[in-house]
Amino acid sequence: MSARAGALRGVFGAPVSRYDQASALWLLAPMLAVLLVVAVFPVVYSFWISLFDLKLTRPHRVPFVWFENYAEIFQDELFWSSVWRTISFTVMSVAAIMAIALAMALLLNEEFRGRRFLSAMLLVPWAIPYVANGLMWKWIYDSGYGALNGILLQLDFIDKYMVWLGDSRKTLALIANAFVWKEVPLATILLLVGLKSIPADLYSAARVDGANTWRRFVHITLPALRPSFMLVVIYETMMAIRHFDLFFILTEGGPAEASHVLAWHVYVETFRKLSFGTGSALAYIIALVTFLLAFWLIRTLGRKL
Amino acid sequence: MKQFERRDFLKASAAAALAGSGTLGAVGRALAADPIQFFAWSAGVDQVKSHISAFEAKTGLKVAYGNAPWAQYRDTLITKFVGKAPLDVLWVSDSWLPEWAEAGWLAPIDGYPELLKYNADVDDFSTKSMIWKGKQYGLTYYTDYMAFFYDEEMLKKAGFSAPPNTWDEVVQQSLKIKQAKLSEYPLMLSMARETWLIEFLSSIVFSHGGRFVDDAGVAVMQDKKKGAHEALTWIVNAVNKHKIVSPACVEIGELNGLKAFTSGQHAFAMLGRYRVRTLNDPKQSSIAGRAKQGMMPAGPNGKNATVGWNRFYGLTTPAAKDKAKAADAVKFIEWFGGKADGKYTFQKLMFMDVGAGFAVKPLFQDPDIIKTYAQYSDMKMYEKQQALAQKKDVVSPWFGEWDEVNGTAWQAAVVGKSSVDDALKRSADTWNKLRKRA
Repeated sequence: MSARAGALRGVFGAPVSRYDQASALWLLAPMLAVLLVVAVFPVVYSFWISLFDLKLTRPHRVPFVWFENYAEIFQDELFWSSVWRTISFTVMSVAAIMAIALAMALLLNEEFRGRRFLSAMLLVPWAIPYVANGLMWKWIYDSGYGALNGILLQLDFIDKYMVWLGDSRKTLALIANAFVWKEVPLATILLLVGLKSIPADLYSAARVDGANTWRRFVHITLPALRPSFMLVVIYETMMAIRHFDLFFILTEGGPAEASHVLAWHVYVETFRKLSFGTGSALAYIIALVTFLLAFWLIRTLGRKL
Repeated sequence: MKQFERRDFLKASAAAALAGSGTLGAVGRALAADPIQFFAWSAGVDQVKSHISAFEAKTGLKVAYGNAPWAQYRDTLITKFVGKAPLDVLWVSDSWLPEWAEAGWLAPIDGYPELLKYNADVDDFSTKSMIWKGKQYGLTYYTDYMAFFYDEEMLKKAGFSAPPNTWDEVVQQSLKIKQAKLSEYPLMLSMARETWLIEFLSSIVFSHGGRFVDDAGVAVMQDKKKGAHEALTWIVNAVNKHKIVSPACVEIGELNGLKAFTSGQHAFAMLGRYRVRTLNDPKQSSIAGRAKQGMMPAGPNGKNATVGWNRFYGLTTPAAKDKAKAADAVKFIEWFGGKADGKYTFQKLMFMDVGAGFAVKPLFQDPDIIKTYAQYSDMKMYEKQQALAQKKDVVSPWFGEWDEVNGTAWQAAVVGKSSVDDALKRSADTWNKLRKRA
C-alpha cells in the first residue's frame, strides 16, 4: 500500500505506510494496556477519590463532596505551616547539595594521588538504602548515646550531651544534613560527567588569552555545566519536596510539629487517619506544585545559567 | 433453610469423591468444614500455635492462623475488613474497639452467656475496656497497666528509704538525686510520638485525679480543675524548671526509655508493668535486682491511679451472622480468653513465657505465677496497682485522629512552642470538632 502525501514520516524521512502504522499500534498495544492499568487508571482514579469524603474506617458513608477536600486543605493552618517547612527543607538541602557536589566534582576532575579511592568512597552514602541511612543518623543524633555527642564531647566543643532531634530549632536542619549526605554522591557524579565533557581546548585557549583560574571557571566551566547543573537542581528539588523516609524514621513529624512537612502530612492523612479522600487531594496538590516548580526551574535556570 | 451454594456443592463433591475412593477420610472432613479464620499480631506466636494445636485436638475443629506485626496491624485489618477477607476471630486492642464496632466489623458477644460468665473473674477496668455503647465485644487474654519503677539503690544513696508517693515527692527526691550527682535527669519519661504516648499521658492525668473527657464524652482536658491541666503543667515544669526530666524526652520512645533506665541513667521510670521482667534480668539490665515497682505517684487531687489497657479476642460480624461458624468461633474465644479444660491456661502460658499481664483475678493466687513473679518483682504491688487502673477515657471512633493532634499539642508545651493552656485548648477543640462531625 503506497503512502499518501502528508502522511506520517519515519526516522529517515521516508513515508510510513498505513500497514506499518497499524502494525506499530498492534505491537505497542500490550504495553499501552499495561500503562493504562498501572499508571493512567490509578492517576485518574485517585483524582476521583479526592472528590469523596472517603475514610476507610467509615465504610458505610462515603459522600461525594466535589472540591471540599481541597477547600479544607487550603483552610488548614497545619497544611500551610507544612508547606513552609517543606520549602525551608528544600532550599536548605538543595543549596547544600549543589555547593558540596560542585566542589567535589571540581576536585575529582583534577588528577591527584588517591583520586580513584576518593571516588569510590564517595559512592558509599549513595549505596546505602534510605531506611538504613535514617537508622544510622538516628543513632548518630541520639541524645543519650549518639556518636555526635560523643565526638563533640571528646573534642571539648560541648561540656555535656546535647539534645539534637528533640530540639525543635535544630530538627529540620539535622534532617536536611542527613538528606544532603545521602544525595551528594549522585549530584557529584552528574556534575562530574558534565565537567568531563568540556573540551580541554577551551581551557588551553583561555590560558593563551591570559584568563586566570577564576575567569576560566566563570566563563567556561559554569556555562558548560549548565545542562548538568539544571538537571541536578531539578532532580534534587523534586526529591527534597517529596522526601518522606528520613522524617518517618528520625522524628515522625515531631517534636511538636517541627518536622511536619508536606510528605509527612500526606502520610498522616492517608495512612494514619485513613482519610483517602483528603490524602488523594493532598497528593494531587503536591504533584501540581512539583510540576509547576519544575516548569519554572527549567524556564528560569535554562535561560540564566 | 440455607441455600446450597455452588462453592458448597464443589466442596461436597470433592469430599464425596475422596471418601468414595476410600482415600484420606480425614482430608474429606477437612474440606467439608471451613477452618476458623484467626488473625493476630505477631506476639507470643509459639504460645498461640501450641494452644491452637490443643484446641484442634480437643474439638476436632481446624484453625487457620495468620498474623501481622503490631505496627501494621490496624491498617492490615482495616484493609482486610474493607476487602471482605475471611476473618472469624481476631486480636483487638481496646484503642480500636469503637472504630471497628461502629464500622460494623466486630460483633458483640452479649448473646453468648458461656463467654460472659468469665466477667465475674475479670478486673472491672478490663471488662469496661471491651464494652462500647453498652455491648461487650470480646474476652481478654492480656491486660496490663502503666507502672512506676525506681532504682532502689540510687534512692538509698540519696538518703531515701521509700519511693515517692506523690508527684511533689518525685520532684523533691529527684532534686536531691541531681544534687548528689547520681543522675542528671532522675525521671525517665518517654514522650516521643508513638502509640505508647497516650498511655503515658493518661497515667499522669489519671494519677492527678484527672480526665481527658467526662462520662458524656465531652472534653474536659482544658479545664484547670480537671487534672489534665495539672498533669501537663507538672511535666512542663519537670523538664524546663526543675530539669529532672531530659528535654530529649520528646524524642525518646518507650523502648529507648527502657534501655536508658536499664543502663542505670535514671532513678525513676514509667514503663509498662510487664517490663519489670526485663528490668531485673541481669542479662538485659545493669540495674537487675534494684528495679522495684512503686505505686504511681499521686497529684494533689489524685489517688495513685494509672491507666490500664486490654487486648482481647473479638468476633467478626460475618462470623456472627453464620450460626455454625459463630458456634465454632465462640468455642475458640472461650478456649483462649476464658478457660481451657477448666483453667485459664492461655493467660497463664503468656504470663509464664513472655511476662504478659492478665486481668483474671484467680491467677493472682496461682502458686506457679506467684513463685515465678517473686523472682523479679512483688505480686502484691502488681495486684494493688492494677486495682487502681482505669480504662482510657479517650477511646472513641475518632481516637486515632485526635491522638495525632493531642500528642503534638503536649509535645509543643514541653518544648516551649505553646503554653499549657493553648496546648490543652487545641486538644480539646479538636476532640469536640471530631465528636461533632462523627
